[in-house]
Amino acid sequence: MDLMMFGNPLTLLTLGPIVAGFVFMFLAWASPPSKREEISQYIRILIFAFSLLLLSLSTLMFLESYSGISWTSIGLNNYVYDNCVNADIALEAGGCSLVDGFGVSWHVGVDGLSFPMVWLTTLLIPVAMLVEWDAKKGAQFHSLILLMEGALIGVFVSLDLFVFYTFWELSLIPMFFLILLWGGDDRKYAAQKFFIYTFTASVLMLLGILVMYYFNRVPVWDGNFTGRAFDVTLMAASSNQLGSSFLGGVGMQKTVFLLLLVGFAAKMPSVPFHTWLPDAHVQAPTAGSMLLAGVMLKMGAYGFIRIAVELLPGAMVYFQWLIVILGMVSLVYGALVCLGQTNLKRMVAYSSVSHMGLIFLGIATMQPLGIAGAIFMMLAHGIISPHLFAVCGAFKHHYHTLEIGSMRGIAKHSPWLGGHMMTAWMASLGLPLMAGFVAEIAIMIAFWMTFGWLVILPALTLIITAAYYLWSMQRTIFEGGDEGELPESLQGEDPVDITWHENAGMIVLAGFAVLLGILPFIFFDMMSAYSGEFVAEVLLDVLNEVKP
Amino acid sequence: MSTVALFSDPQTASALLPEFTLIVGIVLMILVPNLGKGTFRVPIPNTNIRIPYLLGGDRFTFTSSPRIPGTISVFTLLFSTSLALWSQMETPISGSNVWCISTAGEAFASCAGMVDPSIFQIDGFSRLLEIVFYGSLMLCAIAMWSRMPATPRFMIHAQVLAGRREDERIQKLLDNRRQVDFHLLLLMVALGMSVVALASDVFVLFIGLELASLSSYVLIAFMKENEEAPEAGMKYFILGSVASAVGLYGISLLYLWNGNLQMADLAASWQAMDAIDPMALTGIAFLMVTIGFKVSAAPFHLATPDAYTGAASPVAGVLATGSKAMGFVVLLRVLVTITMPESGEAFWVPIVGLLAAITMTWGNLGALSSNNPKRMLAYSSVAHAGYLLAAVAALGLNQARAGDHVISELIVAAMLFHLTVLVLFKLGSFLVLSMLESEGRGSKLEDLYGLAKREPLLATALFVFMLALAGVPPLAGFLSKLLLVSGIVDATIHTSMTFDDGILATLQSLHWVVYLGLLVFLNSALSLYYYLRVGWVMFFEEPPTRKRMVYAPFLRITIMLCLVGTLAFGIGPLADHLMGLVNNAAIAFFA
Repeated sequence: MDLMMFGNPLTLLTLGPIVAGFVFMFLAWASPPSKREEISQYIRILIFAFSLLLLSLSTLMFLESYSGISWTSIGLNNYVYDNCVNADIALEAGGCSLVDGFGVSWHVGVDGLSFPMVWLTTLLIPVAMLVEWDAKKGAQFHSLILLMEGALIGVFVSLDLFVFYTFWELSLIPMFFLILLWGGDDRKYAAQKFFIYTFTASVLMLLGILVMYYFNRVPVWDGNFTGRAFDVTLMAASSNQLGSSFLGGVGMQKTVFLLLLVGFAAKMPSVPFHTWLPDAHVQAPTAGSMLLAGVMLKMGAYGFIRIAVELLPGAMVYFQWLIVILGMVSLVYGALVCLGQTNLKRMVAYSSVSHMGLIFLGIATMQPLGIAGAIFMMLAHGIISPHLFAVCGAFKHHYHTLEIGSMRGIAKHSPWLGGHMMTAWMASLGLPLMAGFVAEIAIMIAFWMTFGWLVILPALTLIITAAYYLWSMQRTIFEGGDEGELPESLQGEDPVDITWHENAGMIVLAGFAVLLGILPFIFFDMMSAYSGEFVAEVLLDVLNEVKP
Repeated sequence: MSTVALFSDPQTASALLPEFTLIVGIVLMILVPNLGKGTFRVPIPNTNIRIPYLLGGDRFTFTSSPRIPGTISVFTLLFSTSLALWSQMETPISGSNVWCISTAGEAFASCAGMVDPSIFQIDGFSRLLEIVFYGSLMLCAIAMWSRMPATPRFMIHAQVLAGRREDERIQKLLDNRRQVDFHLLLLMVALGMSVVALASDVFVLFIGLELASLSSYVLIAFMKENEEAPEAGMKYFILGSVASAVGLYGISLLYLWNGNLQMADLAASWQAMDAIDPMALTGIAFLMVTIGFKVSAAPFHLATPDAYTGAASPVAGVLATGSKAMGFVVLLRVLVTITMPESGEAFWVPIVGLLAAITMTWGNLGALSSNNPKRMLAYSSVAHAGYLLAAVAALGLNQARAGDHVISELIVAAMLFHLTVLVLFKLGSFLVLSMLESEGRGSKLEDLYGLAKREPLLATALFVFMLALAGVPPLAGFLSKLLLVSGIVDATIHTSMTFDDGILATLQSLHWVVYLGLLVFLNSALSLYYYLRVGWVMFFEEPPTRKRMVYAPFLRITIMLCLVGTLAFGIGPLADHLMGLVNNAAIAFFA
């Protein structure tokens, strides 16, 4: 089957959910009040079906036997499902440009770095909907999630920095509303903090993008007002061709790198730009947290690799130690803070900070294995952390509290919940045969190859990770004798286990965590193909220049 | 070269068609409301022969309608806008579409080699600005269509209770008079502005400027029910007159220095100077005071917030868009047409650059701390003036006259693009405020609370306008700022430029003007916080009342058109078209 015959499937994946989200939201808003509940049910089912459709589309794209694409042999700076191949020629002919005069184009494509993220997004959306199936005002809630899917996929597929930035900011808006309208008690503060933090950071990122746009003096075409384009592939080509004189000189490259780093590090988030994350997570609704941790944090890591490292390899080599230090501090600090948390969701949020530190470490190794490990970490964490947040959400939902230690022996009262907590916690601490382990071991090996015995530091931190996970698990679902100890917030009611839809969503996540742990090559192959070429063609020359 | 008397053939007559449409409109505005059953008694004793001459006497119902003046002015401005647009569309490349009008009333197909001094020059640049002027005034006229009864609605009730209610017919006539006054002044502003756009002589330019300014002072003070309006008008009038007087003195110095005020002559004399003549310099500096006041640049902007707050919202919108565009035309004419040196940097680059930095920062800080939406918009207008001044500073760096005009054209095109799309979202937001104003509110941020729950569409429109003002992609405001910064960067960076390895060394090696671009960017980011605050209170606060706002269908349609334009000129083919238009105008400016 030729997927190209429906237009570009990536365009469909990006604009489809946005259009559908608006349509569904309008339907929910316009339905007569007397029948609103009933109609809302149908709308929810339709939205869910639509998101499953998108998931099957992205899965079909992935399956080689259907798409006819060999994901391991794409080649660097080449993309599949590219609607604008040879962008300079295509742009000059006006093929895919949105605004001729500025060099803004609708250019989409995926490769080994972005496709796993696209697939992950399409997977997480229906799962998040399933977990929070019974949200208040469900039709609006699910339409917002659908809108968010479009914006998130747009970030990963757009190869034009203008469009990239637009989607980057667009993804903030549904998230902002999810926190603001469906969040916890302190939601206004959390939503504003989330917005102001990430927005300020992304303004610096935009500044970096604009400096690249302005200082990349390779003229694109004459009919263009500014003679430039935002196209990533063109920028990568000119970066590759000009080397150290890209953007006029290494000094400018370093400046841009720092600007971009602030934007991406705040999104990931890395210490010291992480303080918005715990507040946003604690207040966000479960589905919001799942998407925030599962996909939105990966936007930072993705952008860092795609834009900062790929376009400015010289600066990356120069700032290698800065990245190592940032990653290391995030890793250790995040883990230590987790030890001291009494709120389950806050602990899980800080564990995200810790794991994102590992991604920085993986990239900083500049080894094919390390970068592939970092990309795999993005995918693995994108499956495991939603599972963690779903468990937290279930606790909040059924036990009305998130305090560690206010309840004990939950495994007896809610065996499914206890089981999921154990699976998710084990996956996240890096149990072998689960997805997190593959990423961690790849990053550690690469780290050892580059930095030698310094690997002791991150390796020891994994012990802290294990400690806080095991400790919190022990205090929550075990202990407390035969009867356990129920939290006061339950007010004497009988505890109940998780509902079928929560269970279904979590089982999917657990299944993929195990599947990717046992058969990591499903995605690891394309990632290592990408990172191998990336290191060989982009980083190696620069590395050889610096350390002959 | 063809020399023909104006109006001797259709082609030359069409050159000034938009302006003549305005004059026809002004005449109609005076005549039509005065049409009545007036008769003239033939002065023969003992007879009673009356000849109707239709002026004066009892007015017809039609001519005494309060709506008629607004209708006349809207249609006049609509015709003028369309004619200007059409003449720009028909022969888009300005080179073939230049007309010079001499003092002898003759039209020339080219400005070079005229015997009599020229007073008007009609080219792509002036046409585009006329579109901006007429467009902004037309939006204002639509907003004021039926918004100024002589007795405001809430006072009619009180009058009826007190038994002082006059005959309804007289009331209508009074309304009609008041509307005539307003729209007559509006058309005079249009005429003054187009004279500024067309003028090729500094004195003619000044006359146009004063015609527009004096009329606009009255327009500001026009809402006499509002206590702030007369005060605002007075303040603006006094400061504006002082600024004009200083400028006029500057013009007289220029006249003393050069012996005539033709821009081309002034420019030639300026270039011929070995060192800058102090008299000419003083003249230009004094003229800059007038211009600074018009564009509300930093030290001269202090009356701006008061004037905008006191004036009716649509009038404030015109001040922020059309009037500001007029100020920038004068600025470009004086600084670039006259004082640009043959090569190297113009002398005013540091001054304009400094003013730009102060203006945009001051404007944004002022807006950040103001609680009145109109005041906030006024300060944001100051900030926007700062962005444009930064572009002017970059323009001064370049050798606009020497061979390659591309970068200078880019900068001027960017400024024009900004001024054009500003009409859509700046005036659009003032129009939304004018809806609030008609129910006696709109002067506090609290008045915007929960607007989304009362009027979802209007609130969305206002929110989009705010985002466009802040410069959020993919709206028109972003493209205009992107172009401005593009121009600034292009003017300072050369293709062959290379940088050091160190970050600090690189940053030091950049020309200081490029940091104006950075400042534009940072200020835009800062401005987002107060623009978003408007969105926040509209969507997340509780409204004081759930009542719908006044009906005003045309105003609503206009706001929606502004909204569509803000979106469409941001991305897609319409943005490309507009860019082509402003590019032609910029080419014409340097031609």
